[in-house]
Amino acid sequence: MNQGPASQTILVVGGGIAGITAAVEAAETGYEVILLEQSPALGGRVSAFSRYFPKLCHPTCGLEINYQRIRKNPRIKVITMAKVESLSGQAGDYTVLVKTKPRYVNEKCTACGDCAKATDVRVSNSFNYGMDKVSAAYLPHEHAYPQKFVIAPEVIDTPDADNIKAACKYGAVDLDDTESVFELKIGAVIWATGWKPYDATKITPYSYGASPDIINNLEMERLAAHDGPTGGKILRPSNGEPAKRVALIQCAGSRDTNHLPYCSRICCLGSMKHAVYVREQYTDAVVDIYYIDIRAHDRLEAFYRRVSADPQVNFIKSKPGHVEIEEDGTPVVCGEDTISREVYARSYDLVVLALGMEPSALTDTDAPHMGSRDDYGFIVPLPGDEPGLSSAGVAGGPLDVSMSVQSATAAALSAIQAVRKATAQSGALE
Amino acid sequence: MAVSSDTSQKYDLGFARWVYQNVKGGDKLSMCMQCGACSGSCPIGTEMDHGPRKLIMMVRAGMKEAVFQSNTLWNCTSCYRCTVRCPRGIPVTHVVQGLAAKAVALGYASEVDTARFAHSFWWSVTHFGRTDERLVTAKYYFSFGFIAGIKKSLDNLKIALGMVMKGRMHVGLPHKVSDNKGLRAILEKATEIEMRDKQGGAES
Ligand SMILES: Cc1cc2nc3c(=O)[nH]c(=O)nc-3n(C[C@H](O)[C@H](O)[C@H](O)COP(=O)(O)OP(=O)(O)OC[C@H]3O[C@@H](n4cnc5c(N)ncnc54)[C@H](O)[C@@H]3O)c2cc1C
Repeated sequence: MNQGPASQTILVVGGGIAGITAAVEAAETGYEVILLEQSPALGGRVSAFSRYFPKLCHPTCGLEINYQRIRKNPRIKVITMAKVESLSGQAGDYTVLVKTKPRYVNEKCTACGDCAKATDVRVSNSFNYGMDKVSAAYLPHEHAYPQKFVIAPEVIDTPDADNIKAACKYGAVDLDDTESVFELKIGAVIWATGWKPYDATKITPYSYGASPDIINNLEMERLAAHDGPTGGKILRPSNGEPAKRVALIQCAGSRDTNHLPYCSRICCLGSMKHAVYVREQYTDAVVDIYYIDIRAHDRLEAFYRRVSADPQVNFIKSKPGHVEIEEDGTPVVCGEDTISREVYARSYDLVVLALGMEPSALTDTDAPHMGSRDDYGFIVPLPGDEPGLSSAGVAGGPLDVSMSVQSATAAALSAIQAVRKATAQSGALE
Repeated sequence: MAVSSDTSQKYDLGFARWVYQNVKGGDKLSMCMQCGACSGSCPIGTEMDHGPRKLIMMVRAGMKEAVFQSNTLWNCTSCYRCTVRCPRGIPVTHVVQGLAAKAVALGYASEVDTARFAHSFWWSVTHFGRTDERLVTAKYYFSFGFIAGIKKSLDNLKIALGMVMKGRMHVGLPHKVSDNKGLRAILEKATEIEMRDKQGGAES
């Protein structure tokens, strides 16, 4: 069946914390690795956090050390702005078609930032979930890897593009850059395509979109981040005032047969982290966490204890029925406290919906064949019947960072086993 | 507040199973995770003694008497918000109304205020095809007894007169639907079908 020697190259799709880990683990074991990332920089969701639990470190902590490992390892090839078009074959012998989008900036870029000053055109800042704007010549974010600017397609073929090009002293702007499609020979694939938040507008009773002061948990991360739209101040999006009465609504669209039937496992911890963000900024702030059950697994119980010791953080056992909007735009959370049986309606400066994680590959209509999926669309981590395909991180199920890293190491090992087995078999056939 | 200190409370350990088997939607009650979305969504949740979430817990705890005497069964307006929002797919409205139907069948309803009112309302609708404010209230007031009926009527006389002045309460013969006979025939047929279904073992 196999013609010629099997490929030993491992393809990792998705450059979040899981993909990065799988790539360095496999490369440091001696295998050639190609790491594909669809956006202009690695890091995935973690890079857009303000800080991460349980130690509340900055995302650079965990990511920077991994970027070092990538930089030092000639076996890893990183390709950004790239997606898999199609995949065919079997373990040891996959043919993968990759499609890249133009960045309009080449490897000569030093991230000096002169290009950004050469245009007044501003585009929506996807890193801040559209909460502010950036120059059409932009660095994806301050700790982006690679540290290379991107030119937004909006300005291509306009005079601004020429100004941007003229401003670059290093000849790094390439306005003729185009989309490209190329083929790779691959031995095994690790899908580390991660997650996206559940669409909050589908949870109609919670009125997301009806008031700027009802936001989701990812937007909350950016509000607290020093490089976010407010410079790290947690302010009401409606009027820029400090948000001192904050409601965090757990299981927004999770554990719900109308939405995501499963528990995303990390949102309880995520919201407790948000309570800490608020309380660190305002001594007089009050945070109410509305929950069904608090799920702080394993050692994370300690974080729960720490947060619940704060008398200005209230844990209210209640899944709110709905969020109403007062005439002046103030959100009002309505529900029943299941311990006291009080039927409440409370107004807040800011309401944060703790959305769960959905596999990002779920609704990707042109997604290639990725292996077996579970009932919720996650890619089964270590499928037995297709040994060349595995998944790492949240692509395989809802996990926190440390569990994602563990699953990535497991995926690297399973990919290595797959290519070795295929090589042994093709050797036997020759 | 959460735990009842009332030790006279009677528990019927077979009650939950009876509800599972005899009340429409009752078989789904084991899915309830007590999140409170139903009671929190209820537009008249503040008017209920227990609300649907607690009522479900009471069924599971075997609090038969308290369940059947609860005003929650009668204050439900059938808006279906609880059913639509229940994260576990429990047809909460059906359960609440199914329990109300059982409360009538088992003779609990006459003790519950709102059930008396529902009875008077139904009387007016079946007789005229319309609700007549005067007759519904009168029938309701006098269901408490003659003296109590007079007293309640006098207490509310001012409101009634106000309504008449504003043209909000009709004076004269009760309004009727044009085909009152036809309506009767429909209702008789419905009762017949209901009885037949009951005898056939099918449960409401
Ligand atoms: C509000 C919130 C707060 C959280 N806070 C914490 C915390 O404090 N601590 C913690 O441990 N965990 C936290 N988590 C969980 C954490 O986000 C995940 O564990 C982590 O993001 C998993 O990393 P990943 O690499 O699997 O996925 P991702 O971070 O989603 O990375 C996937 C990467 O793949 C890329 N990609 C996707 N599809 C393709 C494709 N088709 N082709 C190429 N590339 C693709 C994406 O662009 C992305 O870069 C939080 C989650 C939420 C929702």
